[in-house]
Order: sequence, then structure tokens, then C-alpha cells
Amino acid sequence: MAPNLDAVSEAELAAKTGALAAWLRANAPVAIGYSGGVDSAYLAVTARQTLGADGALAIIGRSASYPAEQWQTARDVAQRFDVTVLELDTAELDDPRYAANPSNRCYYCKTELWSRLVPVARARGFATVIDGTNADDLRDYRPGAQAAREHRVASPLAELGFTKLHIRHASRALGIPTWEQPSSPCLSSRLPYGTEVTRGRLRQIELAEAALRRLGIAGDLRVRFHDDLARVELAPAELSTWLAPERMAVLTEAVLEAGFARVALDLRGFRSGSLNVLHGVSAA
Amino acid sequence: MTPNDVRGDRSARNGVALAAALAMRGIECALEVRGALALLLPKPEGVAALQVDENRRAVLALAKEHGFTHVAIELPSERRRSSTPPPDAPVLRD
Repeated sequence: MAPNLDAVSEAELAAKTGALAAWLRANAPVAIGYSGGVDSAYLAVTARQTLGADGALAIIGRSASYPAEQWQTARDVAQRFDVTVLELDTAELDDPRYAANPSNRCYYCKTELWSRLVPVARARGFATVIDGTNADDLRDYRPGAQAAREHRVASPLAELGFTKLHIRHASRALGIPTWEQPSSPCLSSRLPYGTEVTRGRLRQIELAEAALRRLGIAGDLRVRFHDDLARVELAPAELSTWLAPERMAVLTEAVLEAGFARVALDLRGFRSGSLNVLHGVSAA
Repeated sequence: MTPNDVRGDRSARNGVALAAALAMRGIECALEVRGALALLLPKPEGVAALQVDENRRAVLALAKEHGFTHVAIELPSERRRSSTPPPDAPVLRD
């Protein structure tokens, strides 16, 4: 479902985008930790348009927890807006502290990402490294933010008060196709804390979500991993449709095909940080 | 669902109570407790009832009252039919 952008006034947006351009100029050149998600796509395109081709470098960290579909989006957006891209492989799954999937798993992932990305960026003359963290993220449980601070990675969107809604609005104005794309955290976020992160499990989740996308589910979607059971979260407005017998059968088969033994549909529907709530890390 | 359907901790007792409350609302189902997740295994008429927004809201409210943060419905599958107990069979997982 397309987000309602009416809550953001043009004047407010103009002030924010102006402040961001000024921030980028003051800190140029910049390297962006780039995933092709809503936030980093906006940041990369804005940096490219503000600073020119030599002033912005988007760096993708590739790993098993990074969905192939999003990788393709990242490359498509970069190509369309002439953003220079560098791709690095990251190996967070080789870190047993990450693979054990503690509640601060993101800290180990981001530590791996920034410890590879920052030296490469600086060696190429990009003293400022930035990420797409936004102001909404600051209100959520985000252990990865600590790793960013430790590596002196700046978050101008958060710093300047850009919410997700601001970013979607500004992205639409620039014609960036990700403006209405659902949020897309890494695949490991589908596993409950304490459940080991393995390449096989991530692949299973990725296959299931890709199969559901092919069925036409365009909005929010998560396949949550509960061992043999896949718990599917859809946008609440989609639930009645997918509980109809013929649609339900199609959905079930698509998920079973990915290797799950059982499929369940969450009756509340998608909620960000659902597994944090389930395991008491954040409030229901 | 009987008290033997789930292992005997507080979550299991909540599951028994939730299944009874759902039955009173006309949604007959077995219920599998997985921590704070209540997994409903309804009969076909129960699935049909859950297509209605108001019924889903009622289920969510009842689940919350009984201490569950998440409720999901297991989707029936031809592929699993031979190895799956009928919906009213005892459920032994927690």
C-alpha cells in the first residue's frame, strides 16, 4: 500500500532537503553505506546530485543476509541516477557472535560492514562515511548504531530529523523508484533471537519471500522463521484476501516449496520488529 | 482442546483458556503454544470466520487478554495432510 505523504508539507520538505544539501557540501566527498533500501537510495542519489560524480561513492556490502532482489534494486537505482558504486563482500556469518543471533546481532553485522567499508572509503579519499539511518530509527532498538558510532560513520538523515515519511516524499520528488518500496531489513531479522543464523535458513526465507512477491504481494511482507514453521506477515489490508481458500492454498504451496514444513499467517499482519516483541525485547 | 494438549506452564494454561474463549465465540480450533505465539489450527469453518476483519480483531483481543503477543493461523496443506494430526487432535508442542 502506498504511504500517505500528505502529512509532510512542501515547505517543511524544502527546508530539510536544503539542510541536507548543505550538510553534504560541508562534509564532501562522502562514501555511503548503500543497500538500495528507501533511505540509502535517497541519500546516495541526493549526494550524487549535490556533489557530482566524484563527490559521492555508494558502497554495497554483499552477504547471504542481503537479499538478491534488493541488490538488484540497488544496482538499478545507481545506474539510473549515475551513482558510482563499489561492491564489497562481508562475512558476518563467519563470526560466531553474529551467527549465534543474540539480541545485539546487528552490532556484529555492522561492525563487520564498517570495518571493511570505512578503510576502503578512506583509502579512496572519502574521509566522510555516512549511512541512511533516519530519525524514526532512533526510537527503535538498533544495536547496529553503536558500531556506526565506533567507526565514526555519520547519519545525516537522522541528524537533520528526516523521518521515513520525509524520505519517501523527497524520493518521490526526485523520481527515485524506491519511494514506495516497503522497508527492507536484512534477512536475519526474520529469525528469532537465539536461533542460529545459517546460509541455508537465510536462503529458505529469501526463496519464500521471493515466491510470495511473484504471487503479487507488493506491500509489507516478512516470512518469520520458527524452525519448521514459516509465519507470514502481510499488510493487514491483505489478510482477508489471502485467507480465501484458493489464495491461501497458493500462498501455502509457495512457502512450502521454499523448504518449510508448515505455514502460518499472522492474524495481526506485518509489524516492524515483530520478533523483538515476541521475545520481549520491545513492547507489544 | 484439553489441558493435556499443551505442556503445563503458564503459557500452556493461557492457551487452554484462549482456546475455550475462542470456542465460545464460535471459532473451534486446536491451539499450539510457542512462547508468546498462539498458533491456531482451526477447522475449515473457523478459517472462513477469520476472513472477517471483526472476527480477527476479536481473536487478537482475546489472545492479548490471555498473554499472547502474536496469533497466527496454520494454513492447511494437501502436502502435509498425510502426516498431520486432525485439527482436534492433542497438540504436544510448546
